Amino acid sequence: MAMGSVSDTLWDVVICGTGLQQSLLALSLSRSGKNILHIDPNDYYGGAEAAFNLQEAESWVDRLATEDKGFFRSASITKPDVAGLSFPRAYSLALAPQLIHARSELLSQLVSSRAYRQVEFLAVGSFYIFKAPSGPEQQPSLVRIPSTREDVFSTTAISAKAKRGLMKFLKFVLDYDRLEQRDVWKTFAGRPLVDFLQEHFKMDAELKTYIITLTLSLDGKITTEDGLSTIYRHLTSMGHFGPGFAALYPKWGGISEVAQVACRAGAVGGAVYMLGAGIKSMATATDEVELELTSGDMVKTKLLVRGNESVGDGPSISRLVAVVGVLYLTTMATSNSKEVLSRALESFLSAMDHDQVPQCLYQLYYEQAAGVKQSRLDELTIDLPGPSLSLSMDDLLLKHVREAWKKVASDTADDAEYMIFTDREPVDDDDELE
Amino acid sequence: MASDDALPTLKILLIGPSGAGKSALLMRYCDDEFDPDTAAATIGIDFKIKRLAVRGKPYRLTLFDTAGQERFRTLSTSFYRGAHGVILVYDISNRASFMSMERWFDEAKSNTVEDVALYLVGAKLDKASRNREVTQEEGLALAEQHGASFCEASSKTSENVRRPFVEIVNQIVQTPGLLTNATAKRRSGTVVVDSTTNNGYFSLPNCAC
Ligand SMILES: Cc1cc2nc3c(=O)[nH]c(=O)nc-3n(C[C@H](O)[C@H](O)[C@H](O)COP(=O)(O)OP(=O)(O)OC[C@H]3O[C@@H](n4cnc5c(N)ncnc54)[C@H](O)[C@@H]3O)c2cc1C
Ligand SMILES: Nc1nc2c(ncn2[C@@H]2O[C@H](COP(=O)(O)OP(=O)(O)O)[C@@H](O)[C@H]2O)c(=O)[nH]1
Ligand SMILES: [Mg+2]
Repeated sequence: MAMGSVSDTLWDVVICGTGLQQSLLALSLSRSGKNILHIDPNDYYGGAEAAFNLQEAESWVDRLATEDKGFFRSASITKPDVAGLSFPRAYSLALAPQLIHARSELLSQLVSSRAYRQVEFLAVGSFYIFKAPSGPEQQPSLVRIPSTREDVFSTTAISAKAKRGLMKFLKFVLDYDRLEQRDVWKTFAGRPLVDFLQEHFKMDAELKTYIITLTLSLDGKITTEDGLSTIYRHLTSMGHFGPGFAALYPKWGGISEVAQVACRAGAVGGAVYMLGAGIKSMATATDEVELELTSGDMVKTKLLVRGNESVGDGPSISRLVAVVGVLYLTTMATSNSKEVLSRALESFLSAMDHDQVPQCLYQLYYEQAAGVKQSRLDELTIDLPGPSLSLSMDDLLLKHVREAWKKVASDTADDAEYMIFTDREPVDDDDELE
Repeated sequence: MASDDALPTLKILLIGPSGAGKSALLMRYCDDEFDPDTAAATIGIDFKIKRLAVRGKPYRLTLFDTAGQERFRTLSTSFYRGAHGVILVYDISNRASFMSMERWFDEAKSNTVEDVALYLVGAKLDKASRNREVTQEEGLALAEQHGASFCEASSKTSENVRRPFVEIVNQIVQTPGLLTNATAKRRSGTVVVDSTTNNGYFSLPNCAC
């Protein structure tokens, strides 16, 4: 973009918000040649998927206390009176600590768009279940859920009969979408997965808990159809990028890292970035939108893309971020979910090491309401769905980004080339010797 | 010859206010090109790769431009991650650009590791005789105050253009803590996502090998 003021240009698109979806849209348009202004009302990247150091977390909590809108509420910070906390910037607390399954479309898009090089991914191998002490003399423990053939064979946690049942189920899931298999679960599709496990596979309570945990469903009420597809995703992701793990986590800031890297790709493509600039008011004419920004600038655009800020009708979550390393605890929001999470944290820490229970150095608690799940498109504006509350990256969001991309780039876009870019830097091979 | 991937990779950033001459410096150093009157150099450059041997040992430099995100000071924390060195650029013919350097030093330091190598460059040295607004002594003093090295350079005439790069690499390779995470190609524990394996114990019929 030329160096004039942002008011001098008629933008092809103004993108408001730098959460995952808007940022991926910027990435998808980064070779389109469109004039793009990308703004965010916050002075940080990531929106509801941001990651904060401790100082930023504190200002975020303070700010939430004074405003009564958005997805977040009841935020508070507790600093137990123990030594050991490092400097504030040594930590990065993610508001969206989502796992990304190896087979997620997000990863293929990051690779094909060449944006992946600037993100470091950690492997997430196993899912565990907390087992309360079975008697007064016993200790609590964490039991790994066997989810590979080898795991199932070698585990000592379940009986031989349960092993056979589990193996049968895992094999079934790998094939669940085939026509003849569909007949088996079709009648259960909209009913809870637990019912299917109970009635068709005759699983005992423990095995059912294992399976439901693998789905990462927060309330355990996941339907058979969704449950089977999530477990399918888990099983097929296992080993995809290397042995022993099914999911990845972007090091440092979770999804926020992905958003930032996508925004940088947008900037490399010529998009102009402004933080601390939200939309104060807007007026629509027949073929353009005029926006007054909170920064004071007036801008005109042919299209406005923003995130839907309304609270949807799904259930809210409560989250406790505990600095012991960094732990994220999530549950459905209820009147006592804060206590539930505190107790869960204590139990977890005592199960980690019975002799020397690790100490929690800092806690951030908040509740987050569900966003609207659909996107809304009209001539001049696109509202992308609100942020997802699920514990793993939901590929459905990518569909909405692609729709928005189609609308913005419809004149030049080739659908088959979506998010497929070549590297920008030619590898320089002339050596210099000093 | 060793393949590129085997070389220790150093991440070096160029930051500073818009118009200081960062992109021109990068273009001159990497491609030996200079475009006198456009700001277009900034667009389309993610990073440049340059191989450089210092003290007889080759390194692979990845040199990151700001991609225009310096204009409204919206560089992200992820941009700074893993940087071994930061080259801070101001324009010797523009006093305001020099005055903003304090904030750029702050930003660089607070987003990088403690022993990161810093280098201050006074750009557009060819303008010294007619339009100089910042003396060489002022530049040097600011650099010393922040523990950075310093030189003045011109992308137009090529004078001193290679110096900041050679010297910052020299500085980096003499900081043992910094170099350790350049030698392991990826830090241990991170996953390579651009190639897949077939280690799944439950591989699908259509992808079993
Ligand atoms: C097959 C396999 C399975 C694995 N499964 C798991 C698993 O299930 N769960 C698991 O935790 N690890 C698992 N790992 C290890 C994981 O992938 C990483 O390798 C490991 O967490 C990195 O530790 P580190 O000490 O090298 O890195 P460090 O840099 O010490 O990081 C340790 C952890 O702390 C986090 N962290 C570091 N610094 C910060 C900061 N400033 N702010 C916020 N967070 C920070 C990192 O994101 C990381 O999660 C697995 C590894 C493999 C190979
Ligand atoms: N005379 C002169 N002009 C320069 C020099 N370096 C850059 N410029 C000009 O200064 C302007 C801004 O340079 P650019 O590299 O785009 O700055 P950036 O915003 O920091 O990347 C351009 O018009 C360049 O041609 C230099 O060494 N000498
Ligand atoms: Mg530039």
